[in-house]
Amino acid sequence: MKGIDFTSTRFWGALILLTLCLYAFAAPILSSQDSATQDLSSILRLPDSTRWLGTDHFGRDMWVRLADALQLSLLMAALCVLTSALIGVTLGILAATGPAWADRVLDGMTTVILALPGLVLVLIFAAILPGSFWMLYVAISLVQWIEYFRVTRAITRQVARSPAVQSSRLMGFGALYLVRRHYWPAIAPQLTTIAAFGAANAILMMASLGFVYVGIQPPLAELGLMIVEHFPYYADAPWLLAQPLIALALLVLSCHLLAGRTAR
Amino acid sequence: MSLLKVTNLSVSTADTGLLEPISFSLDVGERLCILGQTGSGKSLLAQAIMGNLPDGLSSGGELALFGAKATRASRRKLWGRRLSMLPQEPWNALNPLMSARNQLAETYHRVRGDEAEAARQSADYTLALQGLSSSGHKRVDQLSGGMAQRVAIACAMAGGAPLLLADEPTKGLDVNRRDQVVQQLIAQAENGALLCITHDVAVARQIGGRVMVVKEGKLVESGLSDTVLNAPSHPYTRELIAADPASWPERNAESSPGGAILLETEALTIGRGSQMLANNLSLRIRRGEVLGVVGDSGCGKSTLGDTLLCLEKPHTGRLKRHVSTAPHRWQKLYQDPTAAVSHAATLGTLLEDLVKRHKIERRRIAPLMARLGLASTLLERRAESVSGGELQRFCLLRALLLDPVFLFADEPTSRLDPITAQSVSQLLVEIARETDCAVMLVSHDPHLIAKRCDRVIQLGGR
Repeated sequence: MKGIDFTSTRFWGALILLTLCLYAFAAPILSSQDSATQDLSSILRLPDSTRWLGTDHFGRDMWVRLADALQLSLLMAALCVLTSALIGVTLGILAATGPAWADRVLDGMTTVILALPGLVLVLIFAAILPGSFWMLYVAISLVQWIEYFRVTRAITRQVARSPAVQSSRLMGFGALYLVRRHYWPAIAPQLTTIAAFGAANAILMMASLGFVYVGIQPPLAELGLMIVEHFPYYADAPWLLAQPLIALALLVLSCHLLAGRTAR
Repeated sequence: MSLLKVTNLSVSTADTGLLEPISFSLDVGERLCILGQTGSGKSLLAQAIMGNLPDGLSSGGELALFGAKATRASRRKLWGRRLSMLPQEPWNALNPLMSARNQLAETYHRVRGDEAEAARQSADYTLALQGLSSSGHKRVDQLSGGMAQRVAIACAMAGGAPLLLADEPTKGLDVNRRDQVVQQLIAQAENGALLCITHDVAVARQIGGRVMVVKEGKLVESGLSDTVLNAPSHPYTRELIAADPASWPERNAESSPGGAILLETEALTIGRGSQMLANNLSLRIRRGEVLGVVGDSGCGKSTLGDTLLCLEKPHTGRLKRHVSTAPHRWQKLYQDPTAAVSHAATLGTLLEDLVKRHKIERRRIAPLMARLGLASTLLERRAESVSGGELQRFCLLRALLLDPVFLFADEPTSRLDPITAQSVSQLLVEIARETDCAVMLVSHDPHLIAKRCDRVIQLGGR
C-alpha cells in the first residue's frame, strides 16, 4: 500500500460506507428516542432541532429509524458476503482440485440454481417464512455463493496445473499448504470485487422484498419497507420518502465504488 | 536510403536511465545483431523502435523510418506491413482462442490483403514449411513452446514487412529449428533489413552483418560480426563468447560413474492424456550419472521426465524404482523458474516452509547457499523481483535440501543468459557426483548436452 489515493473511486466508496456505518451504529446510542415509540400528536413533522430528520406517519423518530434500517441492511450484507464467500471459495477449490465426480455434482448444482432468476429464488424462500431475517439471510447466501464458486473454480483450475503447484507437490507439501501458498493468493484479489458487488446485491434484494411486503415485517425498520410505507405521503411529506431512498442509493453506490476497477 | 536511422535513442523511467543513448542505421540488405545478457536493455531498444514501450517508460533521441522522421502515431501505420516485430513470448502474442492455421490465414488475409481462399492456402503452405501441418488445428495452449514460437514467427513474417525486428527469435528452440529460423530471417532481410536481438552468440555468428554488444544498457563494443566475435576487445564480450556452450572446455573423460541402478524401464510407452509421444523406451539410470535427453520440441522430453517422476502414467510398459525412498527425494527443475515458485511469499518464507515440513537441519542452508552463489539478502525478496538465474539456483537449493536421488532438469538453463547457464549446468554435474544423485538433463542444445552428460538419450528418432 502506498498511502491513500484521494482521487481513487475506492477511497470515496470507503469514505461513504464508513460514514453510513458510523451513523447507523452511533445514532441510536446518541439519541434519547427509540425507533418504535409512536407519537400520534406529532406525525409527518419537518426536521427540526429535536427531531433531526422529522417524524413518520406514526410520529416515530426518523433519525433513529433510518439508523436502525441501515444497521439491518449492513448486517445482512456483511453476513451474506462472509457466508457465501466461505462456501463458494471452499467448494470452488474442492471442485477444481478434488475428484472429477465432485466437480460434476457441484457444477450441476450451480447450473440448476443459475437457471432460476436469483430474486425469484429468494422470494420463494422468503414466502415460506415471511419476516424472518435468518430465512432471508439463508436465501440470499444460497444465491450468492455461486459467483464465488465459479470464479474460484476457474482460477484454481488454472493454478493447479501450474509448475509451481507441481513443484510444491513433489516437495511433499499437502493440500492445505497448496491452498495457503498457491490457490488463495491467486483468488483473494478477485474476491474483493465480487464481495463489493455481492454486498450491494444483498442490500437491494432485502429492500426489494421489503417493498413487496415479504421481507422484514413492521414495526421493524427496513429500507424497502420504509419506502413503501412512506409512499402514500409523498405529496404531503416528500422529505420522508426521500430519506430511505437516498440512504439506499448511497449504500449501494458506496459498495459499487469500493469494487473499483478490476485489478489487472 | 536507410530503412532505419536511430540517433541517440535512449530509454528511461521517470528517474533512472535504462538504456544509454545509442545510434546506428540500417540500409537495405543489412543485418544487425544486438547481443547481451538478459536484463541488459536489449528488448527495450526494440520496443522503443516499434513505439510500444510499456507505460512509465519514455524514449529520447531521434528515429527515422524509411527516410522520414517517425512519430509514435506514424509508426503505428507501418506495423505489420512495413515494420514487423517477432515478439519474445510467442504464447502471449498469439490469440489463445484461435487455431494456429486460422490466425495465420487471418494475418495473410487482413495484413497482406490476400483473398480468403488464397490466404488459407498460404497459411497451409507456410505451416507445412515449418513442419506444423499436423498441428495447424491446435490452439496455442495445445502447442509446445517451440511450435508456438514457429507459428508466431510465421505470423510476424506474413505481412512481408521489409524491416524486421526480432526479439530473441530463437529462445527455446532446438538447434535444427534455430538454424531454420535464422535462415528464414536472413532470407527475409535480402530485400529489407533485419535487427535481431539475442543472447545467443551462435545466432549472432550465423546472422553475420554487424554486431553491437550491450551490457546493462550501455554499448560496450560494436563492429562487423566476424571481427567482434573472433577478436573481441572488451572483456564482457570475451566473457559472453566463452559462455557459449560450444566454447566450453571439454568434459574430462573420466569413466562413467557406475553407481547402483536407481531406475529401470522396460518397453515404456509415454504420452500426455491419450496422445502417444514415444514408445519402446528401455533405459537404466544409475546413481550419480548425468543423463542427457535430446529431441525435437514436442517429442515428449518433458513427458518422459514426468513419467519417471510418476506425475504422468505410462501408457504401457514397466517402470521400476530400485531404491525405496521417500517420494520427495525425486525432484524436478523447471524450464521457467518464475512459474515454478509461488509469488505469494518471500523466498525466505518458502524456504522456511520446506525446512519445517521435512525437519531439515538449518545449518545446512548457509554453506549450500554460498556454494550456489546465493546472497542471504535474496531471501527477503519475492520471486518476481529476483532474476531468472537466481531463482533457478534457489529452486536447486530447495531440491538439494531434500537430498534427492533423482533430479529431472527440464531445460533448466534455456531461459537463463549464457554466463548464468554455464554455472548452473556446471553445478548440476558437480552435485550429481558429490551426492550420488542421478540427474536427467533435457536441453535442445547439443553442445551443452555433449559437454555436461555421461550418456545421451535421443527421443523421436530422426
